[in-house]
Amino acid sequence: MVDLSLHLLDLLQNSAHAGARTVKVDILESLEHDLLQVTVSDDGKGISSDERERILDPFYTSSDRKHVGLGLPLVAQAAELAGGSLSIEDSELGGACVVVNYKLNHPDRQPLGDIVATFVSFLAGNPDLRVLFTYCGPNGVYHFDTNSIWDDIGEDSRNQLIFLGKVEEELTQGLYSAGYRPDRGGLVL
Amino acid sequence: MKSIEELERIKEETLQEIRLRSASGSPRIVVGMGTCGIAAGARDTMLAVLDELRKRKKLDVTVTETGCIGLCSQEPIVTVEIPGEPEVVYGKVDPDKARQIVVSHIINHKPVEEWVINVEEQML
Repeated sequence: MVDLSLHLLDLLQNSAHAGARTVKVDILESLEHDLLQVTVSDDGKGISSDERERILDPFYTSSDRKHVGLGLPLVAQAAELAGGSLSIEDSELGGACVVVNYKLNHPDRQPLGDIVATFVSFLAGNPDLRVLFTYCGPNGVYHFDTNSIWDDIGEDSRNQLIFLGKVEEELTQGLYSAGYRPDRGGLVL
Repeated sequence: MKSIEELERIKEETLQEIRLRSASGSPRIVVGMGTCGIAAGARDTMLAVLDELRKRKKLDVTVTETGCIGLCSQEPIVTVEIPGEPEVVYGKVDPDKARQIVVSHIINHKPVEEWVINVEEQML
């Protein structure tokens, strides 16, 4: 995974496969605390305390179709390389909550990458899922909710491609006005 | 950035398409989006599929995703399902190939033979 938006896509897929109906994503960039925090919280089936101990082992998987589970270990590795960590908690929504911390200015912190592409491609496969997303960037806070996009479209024209087009439009506008930059990594030259 | 007028126009065009097609029997495109798929570039493949469908106004096609199917070395994997035709699985589908698959297979009903993978053979 070359950037954090791809890790985010993987975490979102985990939520979807855990049967979530709602996923809450928070991305916080704080210069003051030298912190980049990505939180993915859902109302899926959750992760038992037993599983939490094994879940960062690449040779552990909940799937019976394969023998490895690389998603979370890769996310954790990228965080650790950037002076951060990954932790798993109970979500207030009833499922799992994955919190990933990175040092914002760590030289090995990967750039955020294309967050818009991540949400659009995720929602293409999971259009019924509600996504609540908050981005706290250098220029302000931006809130996104798929429900308000659906409200905009209206019942009679509920089409996947129209919906995704609106998602892209709305996210691009909101994220950039909050100071989002896809290519800003930890290494300040 | 699109203007409101443009968006309204797109909405109208889409409504037209929806009215024309029947609800059942629409083709499906499935993109593998497990960890292996994502790492191999499935996100861009997915976006290329969506973009090509939109460009060609093929709004009756359902696009969806699946997890790892155990053929990680062939990712990004795209499966095309057209009712009444055999299911076709494509391997190593980059955005360019994805666009060609939409045009050739979905629109012209001609699978792109050279990129098709035989799942049973691969599983051995």
